[in-house]
Amino acid sequence: MTDTTKLPKGGVNPPTELPGPRDHAIVNAALPNRAIIPMLQHVGRPAICTVKRGDTVSEGMLIGRADGPQSANVHASVPGVVAAITEIMLASGERCEAVHIDLGGSFQTSGKPRTARPWKSLGAPELLERIRAAGVVGLGGGAFPTHLKLARTPGTCTLLAANGLDCEPSLGADDALLREKAPEIVEGIHICQALLSPGRTVLAVSECSADLVPELERVIRDAGVPAQVVVLPARYPQGHEQLVVAALEGRPPRRDPSSVAVNVATLHAMFEAVVLGRPLIDRVLTVTGTTVARPHNLKARLGTRVGDLLEECGMDPARTAKVVLGGPMRGVTVDSLDLPVTKATLGIVAFSRDEAKAPRETACIRCGSCIEVCPWDLNPTRLYKLIRMGDDSQAAVEGLGRCTECGCCSYACPSRIPLSAVLGDGRRRASALGNGGGRNV
Amino acid sequence: MSSARMAWLASLGLLPAAAWGLLLFGPPAAAVLVVSIAAAAACELAVTLPRHGYTLSDGSAFFTGALVALMMPPAVPLYVPAVASAFGILVVKQTFGGLGRNWMNPAMGGVVFSFLSWPGLMSRWAAPLGSAAAGAEVPPLEALRAALAASGPRDVTPLGVLGRAGYPFSPMDASAVGWVNSHVLAPLGAALPQGSFDILVGHVAGSIGATCVPLVVAGAALLLARGVIRWHLPVFYLGTFALLSLVFGGLGTGQGWFAGGPGFHLLSGNLVLAAFFAAPDPVTSPLTDTGRLALGIILGVLTFLLRFFGSLADGAAAAILLGNCISPLLDRWLERRKSRVMEREAA
Repeated sequence: MTDTTKLPKGGVNPPTELPGPRDHAIVNAALPNRAIIPMLQHVGRPAICTVKRGDTVSEGMLIGRADGPQSANVHASVPGVVAAITEIMLASGERCEAVHIDLGGSFQTSGKPRTARPWKSLGAPELLERIRAAGVVGLGGGAFPTHLKLARTPGTCTLLAANGLDCEPSLGADDALLREKAPEIVEGIHICQALLSPGRTVLAVSECSADLVPELERVIRDAGVPAQVVVLPARYPQGHEQLVVAALEGRPPRRDPSSVAVNVATLHAMFEAVVLGRPLIDRVLTVTGTTVARPHNLKARLGTRVGDLLEECGMDPARTAKVVLGGPMRGVTVDSLDLPVTKATLGIVAFSRDEAKAPRETACIRCGSCIEVCPWDLNPTRLYKLIRMGDDSQAAVEGLGRCTECGCCSYACPSRIPLSAVLGDGRRRASALGNGGGRNV
Repeated sequence: MSSARMAWLASLGLLPAAAWGLLLFGPPAAAVLVVSIAAAAACELAVTLPRHGYTLSDGSAFFTGALVALMMPPAVPLYVPAVASAFGILVVKQTFGGLGRNWMNPAMGGVVFSFLSWPGLMSRWAAPLGSAAAGAEVPPLEALRAALAASGPRDVTPLGVLGRAGYPFSPMDASAVGWVNSHVLAPLGAALPQGSFDILVGHVAGSIGATCVPLVVAGAALLLARGVIRWHLPVFYLGTFALLSLVFGGLGTGQGWFAGGPGFHLLSGNLVLAAFFAAPDPVTSPLTDTGRLALGIILGVLTFLLRFFGSLADGAAAAILLGNCISPLLDRWLERRKSRVMEREAA
């Protein structure tokens, strides 16, 4: 069954200037000669490095052990020799250890058929352990450890939403996975159902993937999984998990412990972890931008240099003025192309000089566009003024903690005021002070 | 779209009405327009140049000057638009911090300032070019009111009174109204008063930019189509006003209920121009559609009261200034209501 549910409120239509991936295919990226694998690719504490310089590692070998439950395992994405272990700075500004592996030796797993391990007789603890051991985290950008998200008392979950919406305009990795890996994703849904016993299961897809619905429904039927396919609008930021759940339940978005949304890329990784016993060592990401000649969805090994992927897609360095990791709306600008792809890297977008030029900020004319587009029903211009006046606590009272920095307000503002960035800074300050501006994960 | 682009588009939206005003009233109208815009630009520069640099490119001062001019009678002495624009920019806008900080519409501030300072000069209406008495001053509003009050209770329409008072309608009006009456309305037992055609196409005495309502609406359609303004405020403003004048408008002249003739009231005066170009000014109107809708209704009531019972020649500008004072309260009230709803949902 298919229906279209509207975004409860707000959002913007995706900017049309940016090209998405050229087609829906997933292309295998070239293997990195040297993979740089950070120990912090997730929300929580960095993993503890278990190898030392000179060690020989095999593909998929554990090289970083989760430091307690609020952490995630890290594996070698390529076979080879540990050339160095250094401290690096990630795109987020956080610092952590990173293992440099020089490619070498043979691939014991890649390209070889793998037998499916039975899982249906396993209990929740064993399933969660397989997911945890494989280092699976949320691949929709949140990078929250999946074994924590799914560890719940069965029966407390009323809605399981498999989120097949790419979370930003011009990213297409989730769409591509739905096209190529539907049976695996559906089996991932099945695993979630075994863990959560949800009241209702929905596979939510974007209007951009609407042509897939009959095929997805067939796969779901063949697998005997009780789930429904729902098409949601292609507006940004509809792919945010709170908005997916809000649209499916027909109510305003809010933090809601009774519903669980899992990204389809995460479901695919769960399938590989539980059924194939394969740790998370690669991910699909979109490499695009106006200065990129051949935008593609690439399947890249974790630790691949960002610059190598851009080069593979034909980026023109002379015309490129700015590169962001993530998507065009929320991406983080990087100052070095030597950064590695991590579990949280949704995409790489290159901008030309004209696009990257910072617009001139002018006076707020109180037009209310920011209020119009805010999906969380905030009043960004008022919050902005409160923060600028130094009244973070009043801003927190007026809902600042709900801001997810989706960027709709900044995008819609005719005076080009950096509302989203200022609100984000204010929210982090307010939550550090502990007066109600909690993080919205 | 940038804020500056919005302001320049708003000025572009004034162009059809301004062109018609220049055609109708000739060089005196052009002089008013030039002086008003020049005064607004000069005052803006004088204040902002030393502190913020060149701000004329944001289009806001130009728009204020143009709107002030279009709400002036064409025969007004030139110092009136100059002072009006200067007052709007210097006192109403810049003393509160310039663009985005003013809580009253600068152009409306300037216009009301002149209505209060020079009520006589502000109602010196000139007959339009092409009418029998082109360029001559025509009976001002007070004479019309007196005539309306003096004439009998039956069949009094404002246009009928104007005709009897010797207002020079155009020959075109006579033939157009005659044709419509005999071919379309006669079988229905109805008739349009003389002057209906003139007032519809804007071939009447009036403010420079407000005579031709269809052209004002055409300019406003550009703003609506490009998203510079939203429809809620003007539509509810004009709708409320039309409804009130239909229901109560005939009471004062003894015609009874539902005999107000809202057509005349919408087509005369600065009302429609103000409803599309001054009332929805983003800076001084509420932030949300609900607030804009509410303000529209309030402005409709205020304009009705001021026009029918007030002493100003034009109620719209004063009503908008009062509405400007209310809009922060509307914002606040809606914000509080929203947070109460949110608390209920969270609980």
